[in-house]
Amino acid sequence: MTAALDIADLRKSFGRGADIIRGLSLRVAEGERHAVIGPNGAGKSTLFHLVSGLYAPDGGQIRLHGRPIAGLAPHRINRLGLSRSFQITSVFPKLSVFENLRLGILARQGWRFTLYRRVAGLPGIGEETRALIDQVRLAHVADRAAGNLTYSEQRALEIGMALASDPRVLLLDEPTSGMSRAESDYMVDLIRAVTRRRTLVVVEHDMDVVFSLCDRISVLVYGQIIASDSPAAIRADRRVQEAYLGEEAG
Amino acid sequence: MDFVLFSTLNGIIYGLLLFMVSAGLTLIFGMMGIVNFAHASFYMLGAYIAYSLAKLIGFWPAILLAPLLVGLIGVAIERGMLRRVHKHGHAHELLLTFGLAYVFEETVKMLYGNYAVPYSIPADLRFPAFTLSGADYPFYRVFIGLTALVMFALLFWLLRRTRVGIIVRAAVRRPEMVGALGHDVPKVFMGVFGIGAWLAGLAGAISGAFFTTSPNMALELGIIVFVVVVVGGLGSLEGALVASLLIGLLTSFAAGADVALADLGGLVGLGPAMKAIGGIFTVKLATIAASVPILVMLVVLLLRPSGLMGDKT
Amino acid sequence: MRIGLGRVRSWLGLAGVLLTLLPFALSPGATGAATSMLIAALFALSFNLMIGQGGMLSFGHAAYFAVGAFATVHAMMAVERGSLWLPTPLLPLAGALAGLVVGAVAGYFATLRSGVYFAMVTLAIAELFHTLAPNIVGLFGGESGLSAMRQPWLGLTFGSAREVYGLVLGWAVLAGLALYLYTQTPFGRLTLALRDNERRVAFLGFNPHRSKVLIFTISAMFAGLAGGLLAVANESANYVLFGLGYSANVVLHTFIGGSTVFLGPALGAALLTLFGYVTSDLTRLWLLYQGLLFVVVMMFMPLGVGGFALEKAKTARSADVSRSAVVYGLRVPALGLVAAGTVFVCETLGVLLSRDYLAQTERLGKMLPISVFGRGWMPNAPITWLAPLALFALGLLLLRLADRRATADSMAESDR
Ligand SMILES: Nc1ncnc2c1ncn2[C@@H]1O[C@H](COP(=O)(O)OP(=O)(O)O)[C@@H](O)[C@H]1O
Ligand SMILES: [Mg+2]
Repeated sequence: MTAALDIADLRKSFGRGADIIRGLSLRVAEGERHAVIGPNGAGKSTLFHLVSGLYAPDGGQIRLHGRPIAGLAPHRINRLGLSRSFQITSVFPKLSVFENLRLGILARQGWRFTLYRRVAGLPGIGEETRALIDQVRLAHVADRAAGNLTYSEQRALEIGMALASDPRVLLLDEPTSGMSRAESDYMVDLIRAVTRRRTLVVVEHDMDVVFSLCDRISVLVYGQIIASDSPAAIRADRRVQEAYLGEEAG
Repeated sequence: MDFVLFSTLNGIIYGLLLFMVSAGLTLIFGMMGIVNFAHASFYMLGAYIAYSLAKLIGFWPAILLAPLLVGLIGVAIERGMLRRVHKHGHAHELLLTFGLAYVFEETVKMLYGNYAVPYSIPADLRFPAFTLSGADYPFYRVFIGLTALVMFALLFWLLRRTRVGIIVRAAVRRPEMVGALGHDVPKVFMGVFGIGAWLAGLAGAISGAFFTTSPNMALELGIIVFVVVVVGGLGSLEGALVASLLIGLLTSFAAGADVALADLGGLVGLGPAMKAIGGIFTVKLATIAASVPILVMLVVLLLRPSGLMGDKT
Repeated sequence: MRIGLGRVRSWLGLAGVLLTLLPFALSPGATGAATSMLIAALFALSFNLMIGQGGMLSFGHAAYFAVGAFATVHAMMAVERGSLWLPTPLLPLAGALAGLVVGAVAGYFATLRSGVYFAMVTLAIAELFHTLAPNIVGLFGGESGLSAMRQPWLGLTFGSAREVYGLVLGWAVLAGLALYLYTQTPFGRLTLALRDNERRVAFLGFNPHRSKVLIFTISAMFAGLAGGLLAVANESANYVLFGLGYSANVVLHTFIGGSTVFLGPALGAALLTLFGYVTSDLTRLWLLYQGLLFVVVMMFMPLGVGGFALEKAKTARSADVSRSAVVYGLRVPALGLVAAGTVFVCETLGVLLSRDYLAQTERLGKMLPISVFGRGWMPNAPITWLAPLALFALGLLLLRLADRRATADSMAESDR
């Protein structure tokens, strides 16, 4: 069976002495909830940037459901069914929550360069947007400008925007960072709900979140995946404990 | 041969003059992220103020005092205006300086009229520095070049050897970091703005007497100075120097060159075809000298936006 | 309180009727000025599609305006020669088409860059046109430019200012409406998103570069249409249209009017053009006043006049009205006093230092009074300088009072 995401020998350098991704390989099976953990600066966000097309890799291959996508532009990769959120919230601050999400829906339905129809008259767009708003539980702030939301509302919007593309593969970069325990639980609940029948790759520091949410964990250290296994096996892995869990769990 | 020699000398001296104006612009951009559209206005103000002062206190005191006044104007603008709109973002700051440039030009027109004023160097400075194959080379041109060289040395020393200079260089590299180190960034900004304005004012005070002093001098030079800082790399002082000389030489040669694009095309076998098309290709290079630097800027912006020496894009 | 759409519609309808009837109440000269207002308004709307909606600051938008003007003059010339059939009312379409084509090419390159660098590219493109155009005689007519005649069509001679006004009004309204409808389309919504966060757009599945090229192209098309209207109105075009002055004007108009409100730029353009028309007979300093106005607006009304008014209208609640009435009852006359003081000084200085006045003083051996505000002032009389100073000081004092009042009000507000 082809993997949802199959990364082989990926490389990225930001100049001499800044080899950030160094021959990274990773397989994510279809339908899996897969966590990528690792110390700060290990290259997790960079990995997401490479997979989602923000950066072009220097070498290696990335396959999405068997299709090579390395080096494609972000919007192409998005249309092939991969969507992502950002570690640092990246929304349209002056537009309403409704507009933020509607844009994603418009893009998916192919209303991209449409200049001959009014957006309000497009069939199904409004309903679908409202459904998505309900799904990420932002109905109470639907008309508020995204820039005026609270932090955790913005994080939920961030996820909603990634979901608007109805992706088969969803990448979430630290969705619970900076949240209180309660907010974080709420977010995990939300993520679990919205990723049914999707493949999820999530970067996460909070081990409770990782172990409660994910079926599989990969450990990224210094630009390489040093282990990729079930949560139980990862917990037991000595190398992982030394490289990462030791400091985090200890 | 003489054409080459004179063009080279003129080009270098013009280039050094450009550097005096562009130094402040590029440093201000590097540190504060502001593209100061009013920067060339400082050059114009330097010339006009020196012109007025020269009638009262004589030429030399005037070209010393005028730049100081311009520097003060620069400080006032930074403190009183730019700092207030900082919260609205860089585009807003840029628009404000754009408006200021407009106001300065119109103010000069109001006070001095919409024509060149008779600002010229004193008679006792009109002598040749040397004579080459029968042609005199004016001393004052050499003086402009030497002043610019001294200024470059001074700036270089300030930036490399003084504490403030180190802060400025750090601020250009990492504007967000310097504040964290506890330095008084606003004061440094104000200082750089003031010195930049002072330098531009000095360039205007000195060269206005040699070239023409008119209300459109800011606009004309302003565009060239933009070219210089873009080609050199926004924020890079060394880049500004190299680009100044480059653009100085380029304009100097283009202005004197008696060739058309089609002639250049002839070198690669495109001559007849280009002549047949006519239009732009048969226009003499000298008549489109003004376009050359702009074309260079456009190419740099599209191919290498960080410029020759800049590392920021 | 939100402003009802119905109310906006009826206001716009009223404005439309007034605009249509306007030339019947005006002299031909004033009708010409009204025509210029409409053209400037359309140009500003096209420019604001880029900056206000798309977030792209173009410093060379006159290039597309000028291209449109030249294309239209060429079309007029061809019609005159008989080598082209195009009714006079449709001539501006040639401008729109030229703007579209040139805008697509220029936009393709310019949008490869963003922010300051984008602004520089647009500036460079316009400046390139400006420096090259006078040398390309065939296309741009050299320094003297090109001219052609409007041809009659269907019994309309297009010989009077009124007919030209009608033609321009028709196009301006049509184009303004099209630009407004644009904001309601999916692509119009995408345009706003590109302004807010360009990078994110790509991760929703939109091609950002292609989108920006399209925005640029559409904006250039409408700028070209505005240029075409100018060419039809003037029956000529000159390379100076490419100059930074025209690009600067549209920036001034747009931001004084307010780039965050759809009609703000049109308002700014119309008001300033009117201002220019009215004051250019009275003073040669009106460009200075326009520049000063821009600087003051940028400093104290960052959203422009339109944005400011809309903000006030949105937040105004009936309870506050009496309070802000006091504040503005102080502020408006205060600004008037400051402006009067400034104008006073500028006018006096402008005349005093002018060549003519200096020569006249030389000739007569004495100074003559300078006429400001309908009264003669002797330059050597202290009152000539004290009067504006007093106006200025009084204005500032009132502003201070208004500010204090406003802070007191807002503190009372937050106490509640
Ligand atoms: N555009 C860039 N240029 C240079 N270095 C970068 C760039 N992006 C990230 N890095 C460096 O790559 C390393 C990994 O960053 P990142 O992928 O964000 O780590 P993390 O695993 O914490 O998400 C860091 O040391 C960072 O400084
Ligand atoms: Mg990260």
